[in-house]
Amino acid sequence: MKRILRHQRHIFTFCFGAGLALVMIALWPSSSPSQSVFQHPVVEAQEDSGTVAKQPTGNNAYCAVCHSQEGRTVELADGTSLDLHVTPDMITNSVHGTSNPEGVLGCVDCHGEDAFPHVEARPESSRDFTIKASQVCTECHVDEAKGQADSVHSRGLENGNQRAAVCVDCHGAHDVRPIKDHPEVAAQVCGTCHTSIFDEYQDSIHGQALLVEGNTDVPTCITCHGVHGINTPTTAQFRNRSPELCASCHADEDLMAKYDISTNVFDTYLNDFHGTTVAMFEQDDPDVASNKAVCYDCHGVHNITPADNSKSQVAKANLLATCQQCHPNAASDFPDAWVGHFEPSRDRHPLVFAVDLFYKVLIPGVLGGFVFLVGTDIFARARHIGGKKGKGHPAPDSEVLAKSDPKKEG
Amino acid sequence: MAAIGTTAKQHYVERFGATERMEHFILVISFSMLAITGLPQRYASFQIAKDFIQLLGGIESIRIMHRFFATLLMAGSIYHGGALTYKVYVRGSSLNMLPTVKDARDLIGWVMYNLGLSKAHPKMGRYNFGEKAEYLALVWGTLVMIATGFMMWNPIATSKFLPAEVIPAARLAHSSEALLAVASIIIWHMYNVHVRRFNRAMFTGKMAVHHMEEEHALELVAIQEGTATPVVPAEIITRRHKRFWPYAIVMTIVLTIGLIFFVSFEDSAIDTVPRQPVSASVTIDPDAGVAEAGATKWQTLRCAECHGETGEGVPPIPAFSVADFDFKSFATATQRGPADMPAYGPNQISEQDLADLYAFLRSTSE
Repeated sequence: MKRILRHQRHIFTFCFGAGLALVMIALWPSSSPSQSVFQHPVVEAQEDSGTVAKQPTGNNAYCAVCHSQEGRTVELADGTSLDLHVTPDMITNSVHGTSNPEGVLGCVDCHGEDAFPHVEARPESSRDFTIKASQVCTECHVDEAKGQADSVHSRGLENGNQRAAVCVDCHGAHDVRPIKDHPEVAAQVCGTCHTSIFDEYQDSIHGQALLVEGNTDVPTCITCHGVHGINTPTTAQFRNRSPELCASCHADEDLMAKYDISTNVFDTYLNDFHGTTVAMFEQDDPDVASNKAVCYDCHGVHNITPADNSKSQVAKANLLATCQQCHPNAASDFPDAWVGHFEPSRDRHPLVFAVDLFYKVLIPGVLGGFVFLVGTDIFARARHIGGKKGKGHPAPDSEVLAKSDPKKEG
Repeated sequence: MAAIGTTAKQHYVERFGATERMEHFILVISFSMLAITGLPQRYASFQIAKDFIQLLGGIESIRIMHRFFATLLMAGSIYHGGALTYKVYVRGSSLNMLPTVKDARDLIGWVMYNLGLSKAHPKMGRYNFGEKAEYLALVWGTLVMIATGFMMWNPIATSKFLPAEVIPAARLAHSSEALLAVASIIIWHMYNVHVRRFNRAMFTGKMAVHHMEEEHALELVAIQEGTATPVVPAEIITRRHKRFWPYAIVMTIVLTIGLIFFVSFEDSAIDTVPRQPVSASVTIDPDAGVAEAGATKWQTLRCAECHGETGEGVPPIPAFSVADFDFKSFATATQRGPADMPAYGPNQISEQDLADLYAFLRSTSE
C-alpha cells in the first residue's frame, strides 16, 4: 500500500508535469524558421485592435543570466562581431524602464521569445541586425513610424544605403534616453553622422548658446529639420518656406525681447524684393525653385553668427562677397542697396526716409486738392440741376455760345 | 491743327490728329498695364494682391509684363519728345502746355464760379489749367518712374555711379509715385473726361463746339478768327524740315540705343544667376599629394564605402571621374557636399588628405 502510494505520487507528478508541458506548448508562440525574431505577437494584436494591446513583460532575469556577462560577443557572417552584453539596468534606467507608465519592457517584447538555445538564424551583419531591430520600435511608436516612413533617412535605406539612420542609431537600443526637453542631446545625436555640420553648428550663435550655455530657446537640428519626418532641405519647398521657419522664433516678440533682438526682421524682409518674391513662391508655387535670397543665403545656415562677428557672412567686411554669390558683378557699394532690416530713419538711410516723407506730404496734398476741385464742380452741377430742374451743366456766360445747343449734349 | 467742322448733328472742332490719338492710346495701354502689374507688387502682402498676381501667372511673370509695358511707355515717351519738337520747332506752335499766371487765375475763377461766388466762368485756351496740371504731372511722373525704374532694373550699374542707398529710395519713390499717379488719374482724369461728361476728343479727335465754349473758349475764338495755328510759310517749313529730320533721326537712334541699354544692361535683378558655390579655401599645393598615401586614406576615410575602389560608385551612388575636377573644385565638392553627399570639413578630411586623395584618384585615372 505504501509502495502504491509512493507510485501514486510519482504518477501524479508525471501527469502534472506532462499537463503543464502540454499547456506550455499550446501557449508557446508558434515560430516557423522563416519568421524573423523580430516578428512579434504584438503586431497581430495591433492589427486586430489598432492599439497596443500587449502589456510589457518586464521580467528580464532569464535573459540576463547570459547577456549580463560582459565580453559576450558573437561572430557574424560578414566577419563583424556583435556585442551581446545587455544588463537589466540598461532597460530599467531607460525610458522603457521604471519610468515607463506602461511598465518595464522585457527583452522578449522586442526580440521575441527565442529562448535559449536560440534557434533563429544569426543576422548577416551587425548593421543588418540594427536595421531589423529598429523595425520593432515602429510596432508601438506608430505615429513616429508614420512620420519616419517618408523621411530622407527611410528613403536612403530603401534605396540601399545601409548607413541611413534608423531608430536605434539616434535613440540607442537598450539605454534609450529621453530627447524631448533635451535639445543638446538631439544636436549631439545628429552630429554623430553629420559631423561637418555639427562642427559648424557648434561654432554658431545657436550652437554656442545651446551647447555651452545650455540655453534651450535656441534651435537645435530638429527644430528646423523636424524629428522623424526629416525631409531633404535642398528642395524648393524647404527653401521657399525657410523664412517662415526663421520667423517662428525671430518674429516672436516675447522670445526676442529676452535677447533684445528686433522682431522687425521678418517684415522688413517681406517688404523687400527678395522677401516679396519668396513669399509669392511660397504661396503660389512652393515647389518651384526660386533663387531669390532667403534668410540663410545671407546669414549662413548652420554657421549663423551675429552680424558683429567678423566671421559672419553679413559682417560689413564680408557683405559684398555674400551679395556676389547671386550678383557676381556687384560693386563695392552694392550692399548699401539693402537697408538691412532697419526702418529708415533720419540717421539711418536718410535718403529713403526723405523720399518717404516727401510722398507722405505730396500724395495727400495732391489728391486732397483734386478731391476739393472735383467737389466744387459736383457742388456747382448739383446746384445748377436743382435750380434749373433739368439736366445739363452750368452754362458759362459766353458771347460765343451762338452755335451751341445744350440739348444735344451727350 | 484746329478747324471747325460740322457733322449732321452738331458743330465740332477738330481737336486731336490721328498720331496724337495713337500716342494717347499707347499711353492708356502702357499706363493701365503698368498699374495693373505694378500696384499688386506694392501691396504684395494683401491677399487680394496675391490672388491677382497668381491670376496673371505669378510674381515672375507679372514682373516681366511690367518691364514689357515699361519699355512700351519709354518708347512712347521718345516718340512724344520727337513729335513735340516737331510741333514747336517746325510748325511754330507755342509751348502751350506750360503753366502761366493766367492758369492760376483760371483755377481760382473756376472754383469761385463753382462755389457760386462769381458769375463768370473763366475762358481758357487750348489747354486749360486742369489739362496742364495733368500733362505736367504725367511728364514729371514718367521721368521719376523711368529714373527710379532704371535704378531698380540695373542696381549694380546704379551702385557704380551713385550711392547704393538710392536703390531702396528709388523703390519707395517708384511705388509712391505710382500710387499718386493712379489715384490722380482715377480722381481727376476719370472725373473730368468720363464722369462729368464723356469727352470723346481723344478717341474721335473731335470736340463739340458748345463743349469747347465751356472748357476752351479762348481757343474757340482763336479758331473762329483763324489765329489758332501759326501760319508758317511753306519754304520756311521746308528749311526747318531739313534741320529737324537729321536731328530727329540721330536723337531717335541715340535714345533707342539708350532704351536697349536700359532694358538689357544687367540681368541679375531679373533672373538671379544661379548661386555661385563658395569655393573651398585650400592653400595646399595639390602636387604635395602622395598617391600611395591617398590610396590608404581612400579606405581609412571610408570614401570607398560609397564611391567604390576608384570612384566607380557603389549603387545607388553614381560614379564620378576625377578628370572633371580641378583640385579646388575637388576640395569644394568634398567640403561643401554636392547632391546627397555629406560635407566633410577640414576636421574630418585635412588639406593634406585632400591632396593625397586627389593624387591617388589622378593616378588611377591615368
